Amino acid sequence: MSWRHPVFVLSLLAQSLVSAAGEEAGVSVRNAWIRESPPGNSMMAAYMELRNNTSRPRVLVAASSSGFQRVMIHRTVLKDGMAGMAHLSQIELAPNASLIFAPGGYHLMLMNPKRTLRAGDPVVINLEFRGGLVLPVAFEVRK
Amino acid sequence: MYRTSLKYGAMIATVTLGAVLAGAWLAEVYREHDARAVLLPDQVITLFPDPKPLTAFALADQANRVFDLASLKGKWSFLFFGFTHCPDVCPTALAELARVRDSIARSTPGAEDIQFVFVSVDPNRDSASKLGQYVDYFAASFLGVTGDNAQIGNLAGQLGAAYQVAITPEPENYSVVHTTAVFLLDPLARYHAVFTPPHDAAAISRRFKVVRKLAAGNAT
Repeated sequence: MSWRHPVFVLSLLAQSLVSAAGEEAGVSVRNAWIRESPPGNSMMAAYMELRNNTSRPRVLVAASSSGFQRVMIHRTVLKDGMAGMAHLSQIELAPNASLIFAPGGYHLMLMNPKRTLRAGDPVVINLEFRGGLVLPVAFEVRK
Repeated sequence: MYRTSLKYGAMIATVTLGAVLAGAWLAEVYREHDARAVLLPDQVITLFPDPKPLTAFALADQANRVFDLASLKGKWSFLFFGFTHCPDVCPTALAELARVRDSIARSTPGAEDIQFVFVSVDPNRDSASKLGQYVDYFAASFLGVTGDNAQIGNLAGQLGAAYQVAITPEPENYSVVHTTAVFLLDPLARYHAVFTPPHDAAAISRRFKVVRKLAAGNAT
């Protein structure tokens, strides 16, 4: 990809958006990725490391993306050897603490992608926090 | 003198008896530990000392071929129960199993005696073609099988695999709760071992190689 490539430029723009908005909000995101999924599959999951750099709690209340019909905050819950999903209406980020979204735990469930996503594709997901702050985060599709 | 030697005699006898008993006890403990060194359910695998033969069941794979007891014979089968609308647990497990397959295939020329089977517990949404597209993404050799609820329940029940379809207001958008273990069936179609999550390809591959070696030793 080069400077002339629209996806590349878009992804750079998204990344600069992310860092600018994140610093302002006191929330930073690292290692944001989406697991590439089989073609035609309607459910995907996004993972990340969220960090609250402020001395006050931050509450993630929703997420959305133009690339998907719907994004939900979920947690895989293991009980008696069985896995189930719990839908969370919000997640509180403790002051100066990190919260990891990883396979088998917290994740953003991405429903009905509007196009097939392949490893390397950038996807922006907006994280909405209580108080009206919206943080656009660039996620990378990984195999 | 006599009394002394008797005393010594008794002491020697006691010590000897004690040593024999201690030796026997140690041998017993050792034997038990030795056996358990093999059978010890560690964090990754629980290996059954007495594999349980499965009884008849009938499912169909992504090409609508029958998948039954005969399909298990002559191969080690890794089974995972899930559903294709599963965003987190299933793709994570299948991606690891694809790595297990690669690892075993690399170290064992041929490796034709292993198969990986994704059992969909959601036949309502997982058609044969949908299953085919799904498993093929992880590895071309993976099988995706399903059937009616009674037949899925039959196989799941024999392995102690549980699942439950959640009832939600949205008929096309529901979740399924399911066992996350990977079941290992041996070439005699017996339930041989189970891998407990979180699944790690390197750990599973290493243990499988030991299990296969042990089973080959038992057979000869």
